Amino acid sequence: MEHIILFAGPMGAGKTTAIRTLSDIEVVSTEAANTDREQSDKDTTTVALDYGEISITDEEKVRLYGIPGQRRFEFMWRILRERAEGMVLLVHIDAPDAVASVREFIIEFFDLVERGGVVVGITRSDMAPGPTITDFTDALELQLPELMVPVMLVDPRDRGHMELLLMTLVANIETRAAFGATLETEYSA
Amino acid sequence: MSPESGLVAGSRETVSPPPELTGWAGAATAIHALQQMAMPMTLTLDVAEHGPITIDFPFHAFSWDTPFAEFPHDPTSVLVETRPANPEQPTIALPGRPLDSLLWMIGYTAFGDRPAPWLREGDRYRLRRWPALADIAVTLDQVRMTAMLGNAFATADELAAAAHTPPADARRLVNAFSVTGILRRSTGAAALELPAAAPAAEASTGLFSRLRERFGH
Repeated sequence: MEHIILFAGPMGAGKTTAIRTLSDIEVVSTEAANTDREQSDKDTTTVALDYGEISITDEEKVRLYGIPGQRRFEFMWRILRERAEGMVLLVHIDAPDAVASVREFIIEFFDLVERGGVVVGITRSDMAPGPTITDFTDALELQLPELMVPVMLVDPRDRGHMELLLMTLVANIETRAAFGATLETEYSA
Repeated sequence: MSPESGLVAGSRETVSPPPELTGWAGAATAIHALQQMAMPMTLTLDVAEHGPITIDFPFHAFSWDTPFAEFPHDPTSVLVETRPANPEQPTIALPGRPLDSLLWMIGYTAFGDRPAPWLREGDRYRLRRWPALADIAVTLDQVRMTAMLGNAFATADELAAAAHTPPADARRLVNAFSVTGILRRSTGAAALELPAAAPAAEASTGLFSRLRERFGH
């Protein structure tokens, strides 16, 4: 049995580091050529698709794939996406317009979001000022008032943070599947 | 004042403040009150033997020299001071420390196993947003209950039953989320019930449980 978890986000967010932190094996990186001349003047751009895994038993593994954030590389992960159970979206807080970046990924991966299959990890929050966590969650609540996406401040080098992020993702997927998401009259509490 | 009145000036009985106004309970009550206000505020909590905590609500950050590992669960006193904040001018050096974890710790500790005084029996609660708790030690039972409250309204007792945890744990968790300011309340939501498609046994056989075992939690 296998479970596929994607790690997505802009360059510099810490995807490779996060996979390395969680993986039982040395992270494997593959390369692909970019031939999208509209997006890049280079003849080829080398990009990495990272792979790591967590063995639960000899027969059961959690496969961790780090996918490039740029849409022009979508061909690399289209198949993975169909098989993926969830996605860890990492965004560094000092990325250009980090909140908008999260929103774009959420739209792109809405099918996973609907299943509770996306968690957001904000990185570098202790190193640089930037939006607060409520800036992210407010934007997501505005975008998806019926669906709550977990957002956390994390350090991709910290195993405890990464385990919490992954366990949160799995808990949310399983709970969403069990309970569904309902809307009710609500008040501040 | 005449002696016949039975009252003598300056002789009023001195009593201890009610428990909900002392220690972390007093701080939690003040935090909850501030969160209901539209005006941006700064809060200082002077914790006996652990120094002052300055909370800047508009910037969702705080400063405190004490690490969470040394969080005092029963301080002898917590003095509360509030003042208006300038939403454009932080009162602490940014980025500061993320606020959710501190509020969660205070809420989890403040009222013991009892519900916070402002929570009403029978009301059901659900998360407005996910808490950012990576910098404190939360248990995976708490992660599972958080996921439940992220997807459905529940009373603390219903939450405990669904998560197979003691009711006191669920009450503390609901208190913590309320002080963190991320709960919403429903008076009309249906009771949380585990659907037939997801029997209780699944809680011990799903990927969550196997990963938990794998990670040694």
